[in-house]
Amino acid sequence: MTRSRMRPLGSGPGVLVAAWVVLAFLAMPLVAVTGSSFTASDLVQFPPRGFSLRWYQVVLTSRDWVVSINLSLVVAALVIPTVLVLGTLSAYGLSRGRHRGWLMALFMSPMIVPEVMVGLGLLTYLQQLRLVNSITGLWLAHSLVTLPFVIRTVAVSVHSLDAMLERAGASMGARPLRVFGTVILPQLRPGIVAGGIFAGVLSLGEVAVSMFVSGPNTTTVPLRVMSAVQFELDPSAAAVSTLLMALSVLVMVLLSRWVNLSAAF
Amino acid sequence: MMGPLRRRTRLLAWLPLTPGGLFLLALFVVPLFSLLVLSLRPTDAYFDPQQGFTAAQYTEVLSGRYYRDALAYTVEMALIVTVLCAVVGYPVAWLLVHARSAVLRLVIVLVVVSPLLTSVVVRSFGWRALLAANGPVNRLLVGTRLVAGPVNLLTGPVTVVVVVTHVLLPFAIVTLSTALSRIDDAYLRASSSLGARPAATFLNVVLPLSVPGLVSGAAIVFSLAMGIYVTPLLVGGANQPLAGLRVYDQALRVFNQPSAAAMSFTLFAVSLVAIAVLTRFGHHWERRIHD
Repeated sequence: MTRSRMRPLGSGPGVLVAAWVVLAFLAMPLVAVTGSSFTASDLVQFPPRGFSLRWYQVVLTSRDWVVSINLSLVVAALVIPTVLVLGTLSAYGLSRGRHRGWLMALFMSPMIVPEVMVGLGLLTYLQQLRLVNSITGLWLAHSLVTLPFVIRTVAVSVHSLDAMLERAGASMGARPLRVFGTVILPQLRPGIVAGGIFAGVLSLGEVAVSMFVSGPNTTTVPLRVMSAVQFELDPSAAAVSTLLMALSVLVMVLLSRWVNLSAAF
Repeated sequence: MMGPLRRRTRLLAWLPLTPGGLFLLALFVVPLFSLLVLSLRPTDAYFDPQQGFTAAQYTEVLSGRYYRDALAYTVEMALIVTVLCAVVGYPVAWLLVHARSAVLRLVIVLVVVSPLLTSVVVRSFGWRALLAANGPVNRLLVGTRLVAGPVNLLTGPVTVVVVVTHVLLPFAIVTLSTALSRIDDAYLRASSSLGARPAATFLNVVLPLSVPGLVSGAAIVFSLAMGIYVTPLLVGGANQPLAGLRVYDQALRVFNQPSAAAMSFTLFAVSLVAIAVLTRFGHHWERRIHD
C-alpha cells in the first residue's frame, strides 16, 4: 500500500465539486474573452455568433493597434534586461549578509504599497523630470513594479545554490567576481530565465501604474484595451487580449518546466 | 589577521544589493517621500503646491464624508473579499496539494496562475462580456425565470465584490497551498487512527495548522483589496465609493495632487494597521499551537 493511498483525509466528492466550481469561476472571464474574439458579429458577443477571424485581421491592419503593440514590445524589451540584472544581484545579496528581514521588506515593498500610491508617487516625481508620457517613464515604472516578482523568482534558485561549489571556487583562488560569473550565475539560470519571462509578461499587461505615467503618445496595448472596455466593448480588443493571453499561457507552460510557478506569488 | 578580510567579505555581501538598492531609492523611496511632502504643502486655487507646511489636506480628507465614507466602505469590501477568498480558495488549495494525478495538479496550477499572468483589463473585458445585458449570465437568469428581463449586472457593490474576489483569489490559493503542503500527513493519519471522523480531523487538526497560511494569505489579499482601482473602475464600480478610485479621481480627473497624496497615505496607513493586527493574530495562534 502506498503512502498516498493511506491518506485518511482525502479529497471527498464535496471538496472536488467545490474546487471545480471555483476553478470554473476563475477560468470563466478568460474563456469569455477568447470566445468573443472569434465572433462574426459587429459587437462583442459571448457565446460568439458564428466564427470568424475578422477581428484578428482588424488588429493586424489597424495603425493604432500596431503602434501600441510595438510600444509594448519595446518597453518589455527594455524592462527585461533591467530587472534581470537588478533582480538577480538583489536576490543573491538578500540571501547573504545580515539585516535580511528589513532589507527583504524594503525590496518587496513596491508590491505592498497600494498601486494608486506607487502610480501617484511616480507621476509627481516623473513630472519634475519631464518623463511623463515617455518610453523612459514607462520603462522605469514597469521595472519598479516587476522587480519584486523577479527577485522572488530568482530567490528560489538562490536557495538551492550549492555553497560548496562557491567555496571550492574561492579556495582555488578565483576572485569573488569570477566565482559569481562562473560558479553562481550558471546555477541561477532557471530562476533568471523564469524571472525574465515573468517580467515580460507582467510588463505587457501592466495598467495600474501605467495609467498614471503614460499619455497620448504612450498608449500601451493594455491601456488601449482598457479604453475599449471603458467606452465600448470592441471585438478587436478581445482579439488582442486573446493574443496576449495565448502568449501568457505558452510562457507559463514553458516556465512550469523550469520553476515552481507558485513560489513567485 | 582576520580583521581586514572579514571587513572585506562584509563589504562584498553588500555589493550585490547596491544596484537594486539605488534603483529603489531613486524610483520608490524618493518619490514616496516627495509625495509625503506634497501631501503636507498648502495649495493655491489651482491645487498647485506652495511653500510651507500644513495639515490642511489631511484634516480635509478625514473630516469630509467624501473620503471618510469611502475608507470605511473600502475596509468593509476588503474584509468581505478576504473572507470569501479564504473560504472559496480553501478547497482548491487542498486539491492542489492532495491531488494524486500530476496532470490534474498541472491543470489546477494553470487555471490558478493564468489569471495572475493575464492583464486585469483582459479579465475585466471578460466580465463585461459575461455580465452584459445579452450575456450568458443574464440569459441564464432569464431562461430559468429567476428574473423577468435582463438585469443590470454591470454596476453595484455585489459585482464589485465578485470581480475583486476573482482578481485576488489566486493569491489566496497560492499562499494557502504552500501552508497546506507543510502539514505533515502523519498528523492526519494519527488523528484518523485514533478514531476521528474526517470532519473532526479537519476541524481539530488541519484548520488550526493552516491558520498561519490563512493569515498570510489574508494579509496579502486584504492589502491588495484596499488599494485596488483598475478592476472596479472597469467593472461594477466607476461610481462606487472606493478609496483607490477616489485617489485616482482626485489625481487624474480633479488634478488635485496634494489631496490625492494625503488620501493615498491615509489609505496606506489604514491598511498597514489592519495587516499588523492580522499578523499579530497569526503569531499569537502559532505560539498557541507550538505550546
